Order: sequence, then C-alpha cells, then structure tokens
Amino acid sequence: MSYLSLTNITKQFGDTVVVDNFNLEIEKGEFVSFLGPSGCGKTTTLRMIAGFETPTSGSISLDGEDITNNPPNQRNVGMIFQSYALFPNMTVAQNIGFGLTVRKLEKQLIQERVDEMIGLIHLKEHAHKFPYQLSGGQQQRVSLARALAIRPDVLLLDEPLSALDAKIRVSLRAEIRAIQKRLGITAIFVTHDQEEALSISDRIVVMNVGEMEQVGTPFEIYNFPKTQFVANFVGSLNNADAEVVDPANGILAMDGVHFKTADEGMKNRRKGDKVKISVRPERFSFAVEPLKENVVESTIENITFLGSVVRIQISIGGTKFNMDTFNNPFLELPAIGAKEKVMCSKEAVLVL
Amino acid sequence: MATVKNRKVAEMSFLARLRKFPFWAWLWFIIGGLYFILPLLATVEFSLSWDPEAPFKAYQRAFEDNRFWSSFIASNVFAVITIIASIILVVPTAYWIRLRLPQARRIVEFITLMPFVVPAIILVFGMIRVYSTPFTIPFTDVVFMRPFTQSRLGTDILIVAGYMVLSMPYMYRSVDTGMRTVDILTLTEAAQSLGANWFAIITRIILPNIRSALLSGALLTFAIVVGEVILASYLGVTAFGPYLFLLGQHRAYEPAALSFVSFLLTWLAMGLIQLFTGGQGQAAGAH
Repeated sequence: MSYLSLTNITKQFGDTVVVDNFNLEIEKGEFVSFLGPSGCGKTTTLRMIAGFETPTSGSISLDGEDITNNPPNQRNVGMIFQSYALFPNMTVAQNIGFGLTVRKLEKQLIQERVDEMIGLIHLKEHAHKFPYQLSGGQQQRVSLARALAIRPDVLLLDEPLSALDAKIRVSLRAEIRAIQKRLGITAIFVTHDQEEALSISDRIVVMNVGEMEQVGTPFEIYNFPKTQFVANFVGSLNNADAEVVDPANGILAMDGVHFKTADEGMKNRRKGDKVKISVRPERFSFAVEPLKENVVESTIENITFLGSVVRIQISIGGTKFNMDTFNNPFLELPAIGAKEKVMCSKEAVLVL
Repeated sequence: MATVKNRKVAEMSFLARLRKFPFWAWLWFIIGGLYFILPLLATVEFSLSWDPEAPFKAYQRAFEDNRFWSSFIASNVFAVITIIASIILVVPTAYWIRLRLPQARRIVEFITLMPFVVPAIILVFGMIRVYSTPFTIPFTDVVFMRPFTQSRLGTDILIVAGYMVLSMPYMYRSVDTGMRTVDILTLTEAAQSLGANWFAIITRIILPNIRSALLSGALLTFAIVVGEVILASYLGVTAFGPYLFLLGQHRAYEPAALSFVSFLLTWLAMGLIQLFTGGQGQAAGAH
C-alpha cells in the first residue's frame, strides 16, 4: 500500500465539480508536482490533503490511516503558502518554533530544533528579525523551515515560488529539492509553471478541469504526452491537421506533404481518418546527410533570437511550424524567404 | 553685479518655496486645531480662575471629595470589565465572520449600528422593564432567579451589558478594520497546519496582530463608559458621568477642573497606544 493514497476524490462547490474522481498513490519520500492551468483543481486537491477542504466523496489515507475527516491540526501535514503566511508578530525563530510550542514540547528541544532549521535555511544571522525585515526569498525559506520543524509526514507546497523573482525562484527550487531529498520527506508541489514542475519532480500529475490528464516522470510527460492537452501545456508544440494515408506503415498527409510516424495508435486507424499531429520545435532540424525519413521542403518565414535558442518559423505546405535550434556564435542561419529542407524523426511525430 | 544676481536668485527661490507652501492645507489645519483647543483652553482658564490666590483650588476641592474617587474608580472598573467582555465577544465574532461567514457581515454591521439608532434612554428603559421582574420557569409561577435590578451584582452586570451595546459600533469596527489589514485566512490555515487549535490561533496569532486596532477600540470604549450618564443614572449605579453631571448643577469651577482631568486621561490613553504599538500599525508587524 502506498504512503499517501487519494481514492476516488471528488470535490463540488455547489453545482461546480472542481475535482472529479481523482486517484493517486504517492510513495514515501517522493516529490510529486500537480501541474495545470488556473482553476484545474490542483490547489483544491492539495487543500483536501491538508484538511482545509473536505472531499464531497472519496477518501484520503496517510501511512495506512484514513485522514479524510481529520481536522488540519491533527494531520501532521506541513504547508507552505504562496504568500509565505509568516506570523507578523513573531520573529524568524518564533515562527519556526510555533508548531513545536503548540505541541508543548520541551523548551530545550524546541530551541535545538529551531537552531537546526535556521541552519538548514542559512538564516542564522536573521533569527531575531521580524518577517517584514526579510526579502521575499528569505521569508519563503523561513516558511519552509517552519513547516519542516514539526517533522511533517507530508510537505505541501502551494505555488511557493510564484511571488518571487526569476533568479530567486530558480535557486530556491533547487534548495527545496535538495532539502527534501536530504530529509527524505514526501512532498507535493502545486505549480502552473511547467519548467518548475519538470525540474523539481520525481513525478508530475498534469491536471485539467478537475481531472487527471496524465501522471508520469518529467521525461515521460515531456516526451510521451498522452493527450493533446498535456502535449500543449508542457513545452512548446506545433500542431497540425493531417489525414491517415497508410495506417500499417504510419504514413500521414498534411497539405499534400507526407510524414511518417512511429505512433503505435496508427494501427487502429483507417485510411482517410482525420487526425491531429504534434511535433516539438526542437525535434525539427535542417536536413543533413544521410537523409532519413520525414525530409520535407520548407520556406523560412521568420527568425527569432531567444538567447540560448534560436526559433525559426518555417512553412511546410502552407502550415506554419516552429523549429528550435541551439544558439552558437558560428551558427549560419538561412535568409528569410529561403527554401530549406528540414527533417524530423518518425518518433517525433505524435498523433494525439 | 554678482550680488544683485544672487539676490534675484534668492528672491526667486523664496517665491518658489512660497508657491510650494501648502497654504490652504495649513489654514484648515490651524482652524481645525483652534476649534478643538479653544474650548479646552477656556475650560482650563475658567477652572483656574476661582481664586487668584490659589489657582488650583477647584482641582484641590474636586480631589478632596470622596464621591469623586468612588465614582471615578467605579467607572474605571466598569470600563475595564466592559473592554474585556467586548473583546471576548467581538473578536471571535468578527474573526468567524471574516473566516467562515462573510455573507453575515452586512447583518452584523447593521446590528452594530443599532446603538446609533436606538437612544440610550430607550435602551435603559427596556433593560429595566425586562430585568426588574423575577425570572420564572415557563408556564409556572416558580421563581428561579431574582430580578437583576434587585441586587448590586445584577445591576452591575446590566450596566456592563449596556455599556457593551453602546460601545459595540466602535469596538466592532476597530477590530474588523484591524482584521482587514491582516491575511486572516492564510494565517489561520498556516497555524492550523502547524497543529494549533482555535484558542491558540486567536490568542497567539489573531489578537497580537490586531493589537493597535484593539487598543483603539478599547480607548473609545473607555471614553464612552467614563463619560456615560443615562445608563448609570437610571440604573442607580455610582459612576463618574452622573457625578460630573450633578456637580455641574451645583458648582461652577470643579466640573471644569474635572473635565480637563478627563481630557488628560484620554490623552494619556492615546499616548499609551502609541507606546504599545511603537507608532506602527499592526500590518508592519505589531511589535
């Protein structure tokens, strides 16, 4: 049995179903991210685990115990909020020690644990400062230490990096992941930022309109999306309409241009079926010898410099695609309007 | 040549500064200040004019009167009890409405405005009518409680309840405004996730973070209770308000002296608020 189980969880607010029949098993020490757009139900699911919302139906069990109806203060679940939620009337040390104080632990033990946590987040010199005297990143680290001080069974992080600037966000997420690995704590991270989810998680749960679209490792989610929504939401994607020409050999036609795909589902389709094909921009490249499958003629429409990547907009048989290539100082780019042969592997052509 | 030029520059900068001077703002500020200070100065001047040989005679006489001390102490005790009881009633109410029952906000705000609509004289007559008859077991003549108005304790309970009603608009609004400046919901959830129960949340998180709002409400309640005349007069309770009123009917100088003393006490309370809050609102950290 898994450490944390969510079984047939449904949550309704009035007539609106916010989370619909959600099932998930999480192992001890795993870092799972809930990824999805605003309103997809990821925060509501997290709040049900925390005990701030009660499921309309279904059950939640933690380490074999049914906690569905336990109040939040009896779950031993640590939570980190987007707005930090530090107590303004308490110093950093008092904030970190609050959970231990309400548990009526011995003063000596509280002090030791607070010192340990302050050391963990590298804020020793700020121990006696009030939250308003700290930067956003420092406040969120205090919030992390406060949640960890109670040695929670599960750590819940509700978009904890959204209010921070880009650089702090990247460094803090690495810090959160390092601490989580070191302590071996089970963590659930809610985000709408795909890069965050891909970089930090053991597994990602992609959610859409209250339903789970796909669960998998970051590698699986990015490279083998199971639905059009996952493919579009995670990473950039080119989409186009196509027609099945030869299902047995995986041949499709798009604006008269033939593509080959390795998609297994093609065997179940019939000639003439209308399908949507998707190709990630980085899977296209300028055709080089030896030429493989899916070599097609294209027209260069536009070139955009994005720093480490150069995005080239190409037109294939009237349909526009983006093609990404790594930037380097010696990169020779074609002129706009030029005709170039581009290619992509048959594995890159997803039929969704 | 250079001196003339310098003088012109100086004149120009003076005119520029004069143009920047917020004349109208200062004018209204001075008029407003005089409106408040002149009556007070007149009261002080009058209280000191009883005997040119002994300017503080009115103060001396007032303080020598035992009735002053007994009424003053009684009113202060009532004020403290009213403040504590109001906090116990209003803070959890305002907190719960913000947290779980925002739809009840309009109803509660309407109720808190009732003391402005219903005069104190109506309130006290209503209280006397309801609480001057013995409490009986329904449908029987068996008395299980004597009327409140027939005992000292009962009357004291009634007057504190009356004071709580009169001060409710000020206390509720102060507390509600204080809670608006704090993210009550998230702080509550953060405390709950750390294992805190409701009592710990209210006493250790909510109250400290609305401290200056509580002090404002307490000050207003204090001022209302100490100056209140009608409830105390009709319930026959020894209090500072009726004493001052009676004194004013028979003496000239002592009431003026005591009015000034009341002002000083109010200022002292305001000073204490500044001292406790460090001149900061609770949003900045309440410390």
